[in-house]
Amino acid sequence: MLPDLFNQEYFLASNAFLIFLLAIILSLYISFRRKTQDLQERNRKLSALRKLDQVMMSYYTDLEEVAQKITDAFALELGYENITLLVLDEKRRLLKSVAMSNLMAGSKRGKIEIPLSDSQNIAVQTVLEGQVKLTQSSQNVFIPLLEQGKGGNLNQVQRPKTTVVHPIKARNKVIGAMSMTLNKASSLDVHKENMEELLDVIGASLNNAILYQDLKVMGWHLAEANKKMQDLDQMKDDFVSVTSHELKTPMTAIRSYAWMALNKSDVVLSDRLKKYLVRVLISTERLINLVNDLLNISRIESGRIEINPESVDLISLSKDILDEIYYSKSTQKNINFVLLEQKLPKVFADGEKLRQVFLNLAGNAVKFSPEGGKIAIGFFTDGKIVETYIKDEGPGIDQEDLGRLFTKFGRLDSSYEATAATGGSGLGLYISKNLIELMHGRIWAESEGLGKGTIFKFSLPIATEEVLAHPEQFKVRPKGEAKGLEPAAMPL
Amino acid sequence: MKRILIVEDDQFLREFYQELLEAEGYILDTASEGETGLRKIQQNEYDLILLDIMLPKLNGIQILSQLKTQRAKNAKAPIVVLTNLGQDVTIKQCFDLGAAGYLIKSALNPDEVLNEVKSYLQKTT
Repeated sequence: MLPDLFNQEYFLASNAFLIFLLAIILSLYISFRRKTQDLQERNRKLSALRKLDQVMMSYYTDLEEVAQKITDAFALELGYENITLLVLDEKRRLLKSVAMSNLMAGSKRGKIEIPLSDSQNIAVQTVLEGQVKLTQSSQNVFIPLLEQGKGGNLNQVQRPKTTVVHPIKARNKVIGAMSMTLNKASSLDVHKENMEELLDVIGASLNNAILYQDLKVMGWHLAEANKKMQDLDQMKDDFVSVTSHELKTPMTAIRSYAWMALNKSDVVLSDRLKKYLVRVLISTERLINLVNDLLNISRIESGRIEINPESVDLISLSKDILDEIYYSKSTQKNINFVLLEQKLPKVFADGEKLRQVFLNLAGNAVKFSPEGGKIAIGFFTDGKIVETYIKDEGPGIDQEDLGRLFTKFGRLDSSYEATAATGGSGLGLYISKNLIELMHGRIWAESEGLGKGTIFKFSLPIATEEVLAHPEQFKVRPKGEAKGLEPAAMPL
Repeated sequence: MKRILIVEDDQFLREFYQELLEAEGYILDTASEGETGLRKIQQNEYDLILLDIMLPKLNGIQILSQLKTQRAKNAKAPIVVLTNLGQDVTIKQCFDLGAAGYLIKSALNPDEVLNEVKSYLQKTT
């Protein structure tokens, strides 16, 4: 007899078995689903992490670009929607949006700013407390900033769902907040678990971008300050230029009339009056020299100087200089000049500028020489450069003072006395150094110490065929327009 | 008698050069600004012209460049720039525009100015 398939008992038993089976299958399925979901979840998280890593490792340094990449990665990989990244602006005491996910329907990527004083705002609470916050209405994040109408629209677009706002930290400091909305209702814990490591990465990359932006802003400020300094520098140069010219007119008049009074007077001058007039003349010359030096320095420092190098014969230049110094009235010390002539290659230098340097050095030597002292001018060459030296029997210089000689107003105490008598600005060696260096040379001083005289040396490149083939390398063109070089620019 | 024109805006300097040269027997004419200076150069005959650069109304460079195109071919008087400007470019500019010489006022004592004037006058005769 066939079993009664419709037997109640059998039916129940088989049913129970089926149900049992079904339950097992279901539980297996559920566990499988869960595993898959877990895996999927893990996978998504890893994928999001990888995306964030890419953001971090990439060259995106722009804050908003980084923020946008982060929100996009989140929206795409983790299925959140309406993601908004807010950054804390401590100076202005507010939160400002730096990015919104692309998926945020109807958003025009407008900028949102929430003052920290708005304590009702969930994002503000998140940042201030450093805790994750949950809300059922995304309005809480935005509403205080949008006008009534706009807020309403936003609410229609964003059906009320669970919105989580995470604080974003970097180095244990809250630097912003991330608001995100999930489709299904969810508990705080789940979000927290999923988010923690991701948030760390976000915090780090956002912080980098913020730091970079700060640096960039600082860079702008520096560039601006620099521009201002350059303008001021230009103004200073113009001022020096105009002023020195204006000063020279009355100084020329003083010089001219004092000279006339001294040399072409129609009455006999007493010795005392003569002495006074000589001192007026010397002082005026000193003033004129000082103004000339200031003008020179202004031109050198502002790059408005021209160097036109040519082949220069140092021996004949030395002779010219000695002649000039020998016959100039300031030299009444009975100095014994010695020029150690030798066969020398020509150097490549600007004749006028070199003359200026030479005169300065020789003039200094005379200034510091004792009555009847010897001044020797000699040379040395190694085939590449020619070294010229000017040796005096003056007071000499302390080793530690040698470096200071070539600085602006770098006069040594011992020179003040000589300066007062002969007229010097304390700028001569500074100018000489600059000129020699503009001519690809070097200048320095040597002294065995106080009381042992001083040797000033400068070296200049030899005008070899190679050098003469590329004279432009030695040329210095003045910066700026030639017309602007003199005061009040000469219009044609 | 040699005729010299001085174009110089500073009264003291203008009178100084005038007296200095008149004492040497020259006949002096003066102008205290650029426009008068240019007009005098174009209308009168001189043996030497001493021209400042920084001048009101018309500066020395402008005068030189106008003279370069407008001056009568037979005008022979050399124009010597007498100024306190001394940059290479300015000096070159003046020579390019036909200046015969370039003197820097503050660098010269009166006797040196006289010597320069004499040598330029000799060159023309």
